[in-house]
Order: sequence, then C-alpha cells, then structure tokens
Amino acid sequence: MAGLLDEVGLGGERVTMVNLSSAMGAQFAEVVAEVTERVRRLGPNPLGNTREHEKI
Amino acid sequence: MIVGEQKSLAEIMELLGDARRVLVAGCGTCVTVCFAGGEKEVGVLASELRMKSKLDGHPMEVDEVTVQRQCEWEYIDPLREQLDGYDAVLSLACGIGVQAMNERFPDAITLPGLNTTFLGLPEEQGVWEERCQACGDCILGLTAGICPIARCSKQLLNGPCGGSQNGVCEIDPDVSCAWQLIWDRAVKLGRVDRLMEIQAPKDWSQSRDGGPRKIVRDDLRLDEAE
Repeated sequence: MAGLLDEVGLGGERVTMVNLSSAMGAQFAEVVAEVTERVRRLGPNPLGNTREHEKI
Repeated sequence: MIVGEQKSLAEIMELLGDARRVLVAGCGTCVTVCFAGGEKEVGVLASELRMKSKLDGHPMEVDEVTVQRQCEWEYIDPLREQLDGYDAVLSLACGIGVQAMNERFPDAITLPGLNTTFLGLPEEQGVWEERCQACGDCILGLTAGICPIARCSKQLLNGPCGGSQNGVCEIDPDVSCAWQLIWDRAVKLGRVDRLMEIQAPKDWSQSRDGGPRKIVRDDLRLDEAE
C-alpha cells in the first residue's frame, strides 16, 4: 500500500498498518497520536477534499 | 495456468496517453488467480489512475468492469453497449483477452495493462514458475513427468549439458537442472529404460516454430444454417 501511494505521488508515509487488540487501549492512543502528528507534518492531502459522490 | 504481471504505472500512463475516459477491464480466470488482473486488481489500478491523473493535473474518469473470461466472445459481447464514449479500454487480461477485445470491438482501442509472461503454476503462494511451453507435442511420458522444453534453459532433449552442477542450472543457482530432475525421477520410478530409448527428432512444427497454430474440432462445431 505504501509503495503504491509512493508510486502515485501521494506519499506512503500517510498510511500506517498496526496490529492491536481491543485490550491495548494505551498503545492505540499512542499510535493514533503519532500517526496524526506525522500526517499533520506532511500537510494536506494533495488530492484535496473529495466530494462524497466523487470516486477515488 | 497463464501467468501475467501488471505493467508499471508509468508504462500504463504512457500507453493511455491523453485518454480522459478510460475503462479498466479485468478477467475472472487466469489473471485473477495470479492476482494480476482480477476484480480487485482492477479496483486498485483504477484508483491509482484516478489519483495519479488528478495529481498530474489531467484528471481521468476511470470506470471498472470485470468479465468472467475475456477470451471468449459470449463473455465479452455484453460489453458492447458500454464501450461507447471511452477514449481507451485498459485490459488487465492476458494478451489473448486484449486481442479478443480488439477483434470483437474494432472501433475501441483496447490496451494491455499486463505483461503475459508464461504458463506455470504457483510453487507456493506468491511464487509462480514456468512449467509448459505449449510445444504441441508433449513428451512428459518419456521424461518422467518433467518437461525439458519448459524447464531446461537450453530446451535440450538429451541433457544434461556441461553446465549442470549439483542439480543446479548454470544460468541461475535458483534454477534446478531439469535433466537432473528428470534423471532422478526416472531412477526412482524405474523408468530409465524409457529415457534411454532413441527418439525421432522432435517435431517443432507443432510448436510456435511452425507459425500461429489452430485447432479445429469438427465434432464441436455448430452446424451452420444452410
């Protein structure tokens, strides 16, 4: 997936895959905070806001 | 089965040129089971094309369709009405499907999204290896069930050659020497005598060497109305 996004030009760093169980609440919060911060740093999605009816 | 591999996104974009309305057409048989051109792969590629073309500033409108078999008229005929209005059809079927589309719908340009590579099998999940060259004159009965046409790098019929070392072909340490495999199996099955029989030279005219091939089965043909 990351490779695909890199090839398209959106940046593979925008996607993260993590394995968690529902009992791992603290780790979940940590990962979400980290990913949110990373994506914020990368800036808005170059594709812009997609309208609901538009296929992507 | 026929095994294929998707062309790079760059090559596909180059083939599509300035097409703005594109139909990506997949196939439900061989290219589905080698994960190159089935419904899911069509969906992923169509998304890639939409994203890439939008980022490049020339957004493409990309639609998707997957037929059960792209190589047979009755499965692709239902696409006829759909094809109007597309600048190009990008087929993720094997080369046969691409040509079937071009032959059946000559007014539409159907481009290949895959490289059709070989006839082979999945040795393990995710790894496909060539096993058959469709030579038209199968000798597997003489070679203990292992094909020297497809699996010997030199297609030798009286192998092995001097490049065979420790059961491995000189061209690549990951390629088994086909003749080592044949010999070992013949010994194990007690069929060495079959291997030692002198055979007439192989009739290569049955292979691609004789030109494009055709099979006619009169027992299957439909009677044409008089």
